[in-house]
Amino acid sequence: MASNKATLKSAAKATGSHTSTGGSGVKQGRLASAYALELNNVEAFYGNFRAVAGVSLRIAPKSVTAFIGPSGCGKSTLLRVLNRMHETLPGTSVKGEALLDGVDLYGPNVDPVRARRLVGMVFQKPNPFPTMSIFENVISGLRLAGVRSKSELEGVAETSLRKAALWDEVKDKLSEPGTSLSGGQQQRLCIARTIAVKPEIVLMDEPCSALDPVATLKVEELIRELAVDYTIVIVTHNMQQASRVSTTTAFFAMNEQRAGYLVEMDATSKIFTNPKEQLTSDYVAGRFG
Amino acid sequence: MSVNLTGSRSLLSPDRAFRAIALMAAIATATTLAIIFIVLVAGSVPAISESSIPELIAANAGPIFGTVATALIAIVVAGPIGILGAVYLVEFAPKRVAIVLTFIVELIAAIPSVVFGLWALNDLSVRLRDSVEWWIAGSIGKILPFLSEDSDNPAADSVFRAGFLVGIMIVPLVVSLSREIIRAVPISLREGYIGMGATRWETIRHVVLPTARIGIIGALMLALGRALGETIAVTMVIGGSNDVPASLFQPGSTIATRIATTLPEAGPEEKSVLIALGVILFLVSLGLSLAMRLAARQTAKITASVK
Amino acid sequence: MRFTALAATILAIIPLIALIYFVTTRAIPWLDAALFVNNPLDNPSGISNAIFGSLQLTTAAILAVTPIGVLAAIYLNEYASPRVVSWSELVIDVMLGVPSIVVGMFAFMVIVPQLGVSAGSGVVAIGILMLPIVVRTTQEVLRLVPASVREASLALGVPVWKTVIFIVCRTAFSGILTAVILAYSRGLGETAPLLLTVRGTFAQNWLDFGTTMNAMPLTIYSYSGAADSRTIGQAWAAALLLMVMALILNIIVRARTVNSRVA
Repeated sequence: MASNKATLKSAAKATGSHTSTGGSGVKQGRLASAYALELNNVEAFYGNFRAVAGVSLRIAPKSVTAFIGPSGCGKSTLLRVLNRMHETLPGTSVKGEALLDGVDLYGPNVDPVRARRLVGMVFQKPNPFPTMSIFENVISGLRLAGVRSKSELEGVAETSLRKAALWDEVKDKLSEPGTSLSGGQQQRLCIARTIAVKPEIVLMDEPCSALDPVATLKVEELIRELAVDYTIVIVTHNMQQASRVSTTTAFFAMNEQRAGYLVEMDATSKIFTNPKEQLTSDYVAGRFG
Repeated sequence: MSVNLTGSRSLLSPDRAFRAIALMAAIATATTLAIIFIVLVAGSVPAISESSIPELIAANAGPIFGTVATALIAIVVAGPIGILGAVYLVEFAPKRVAIVLTFIVELIAAIPSVVFGLWALNDLSVRLRDSVEWWIAGSIGKILPFLSEDSDNPAADSVFRAGFLVGIMIVPLVVSLSREIIRAVPISLREGYIGMGATRWETIRHVVLPTARIGIIGALMLALGRALGETIAVTMVIGGSNDVPASLFQPGSTIATRIATTLPEAGPEEKSVLIALGVILFLVSLGLSLAMRLAARQTAKITASVK
Repeated sequence: MRFTALAATILAIIPLIALIYFVTTRAIPWLDAALFVNNPLDNPSGISNAIFGSLQLTTAAILAVTPIGVLAAIYLNEYASPRVVSWSELVIDVMLGVPSIVVGMFAFMVIVPQLGVSAGSGVVAIGILMLPIVVRTTQEVLRLVPASVREASLALGVPVWKTVIFIVCRTAFSGILTAVILAYSRGLGETAPLLLTVRGTFAQNWLDFGTTMNAMPLTIYSYSGAADSRTIGQAWAAALLLMVMALILNIIVRARTVNSRVA
């Protein structure tokens, strides 16, 4: 059983495909490209309806990128394309290339399960597993991947909970149900659970929208800390949050066919003070959306 | 949710294998029903080809009459009590009382029918004979022969008692189904009426019950279907006579009791007849189940359109 | 009007109270150790073979039926298209409504020729009656597992089959257990199908499904008309035992469902 350090490249290699970059002499675990994530003309469909139109962008490693824009312009859909969750809904499809470390997530022989392990997701509403304790929740991904060693599981649990800034609050009650925590704590538990499987990218779909302001600030602080180890992409409706948390911001809007498209992507400070597009500055100034 | 994964998956992947196993289990379940149906219909063919349907009915008038009579008596007994009881539990009862009483009523459904039979044989039968049967026979029974009885020698078993017993047994079903239906009547309908100054009972009579009417009829049909199939309790109190009884207070039989008592020793012709009767029973209870589903769907449509 | 309705409710409950009282008072004088340990042909006679026969038959049936029923419910809730689900609800409704005598008749026609008048035939007969209960109840609890739970699991990189078994079923486990208890309770109380398949016996046959076995409902039925007071007393005792078992199982089920609703 490949350890959680397996990169997508080795997964693809194991199933016989070839990587899309030259990649000669590249060792396992090293970045094959300068970008953690690279999208080339990605489109997402619900049946025949195109929800996301031709998005191309690049995300630098160990950064925090915010996806902002009015409701309905495909930000969440695009996020789910990145961890191959979009296809779990019936009738959906994806076009284009999504390169993780230079390897196409949608390559012909890629195992979606492996892809999802490398691209984690935190959801809008905290969703700890209801019948499991805090400890069981954190290690659930690992255990189901076959890790049995108790010491390893306990070690990862502590590390992940520490990284999620939750350890001190729960270290004495690890066997309590995950659902006994407050909303903000539950969300940090979900974050711990996600990073326990050691993903390369962590996606967050409006992670604070169900939380109170105090919990929100705690999670935002956590996101900034996590960026030291992980590449983070966060969808948010809260522009102040985007400016607090991210280094890069991508602004999306809806075109006449109701498909979402990328308007502009730049350093966060630029987007909010001096964007290139008029539409962007309108949105940022609150004139619509 | 169904999963739609791109990329090639080997035929033996655990995902595929698990899904296949689950599918086989589902198919096995459905197939069981189909096999039962086919086998029974096939088994009844000899009887139907031998004699026509009217002849069959005439030859088995006793059990058929008994089946219909017990079921009707059961509904007459269980219907009003069950519906009124449901009305009380939903509309009038304070919350705690409703929970406790509902719980107790539903416990009745848990008691095996053979225990009901044993009790009825020794307790209920005697009480019914000495009270209700005696009273009815003494009054209306003087005029209507099918409600009469020989007052010097009242029968040990009777169709009426069987029907009454089945009625007692299906009350919880009527109550629980009616409760759901009455509860489903939207609050907005009730509030509208109360807002005009109506009392609780007026609201129930003029708004709730009419809306719930179709659903309640469906519930009664389902209960009827259950009553038709009741075997062992009926066997113990109905007596086992094969003819159409002269009066409801005389012994009789039902399709179910005939099958239960005579099938093991029956010869091939008689077996086929019994199977044919069983198929009729099956089809009727099937029809009633479907009628109930239709009624439930109708009620859902009505209440949904109100919102 | 409220009092008429209340009266109706009380009327509905009176038979239950009368029955429990009657059965209990008639049965208690006969509850002795011999009842539980001895068989009908021993002296003094007992109903041990009926008690353990019932338990063996019902347990064998539940062991056979639970995997099939749970897997079928899993397929219907996790994989099947809405149209298939809709049809299956019809099928299960019909199965739930089949009179037990009809199932008994089917078993008599098809299973008994194969397995003989034996416990095996009886297990099949009551198994058929228990299967739709397991499927329907399991389906309902699986439906209650929110989509967010499945999403969370898939997003961690857990394959679908593991998600279904280790996450979804684990979440619904309590409900699945309830389904099993409910089906077991039904199986214990069935008489008619056993009449046509197992028929009962005076012997005690442990775990031998190739031959006849006794069961409590059969004992109650066959002893009900007896003249001998000990025999009739055993019928009452068996009735009390059966009733208590059924009531306890059902009370357990209701207690569990009330808890989950409160949560």
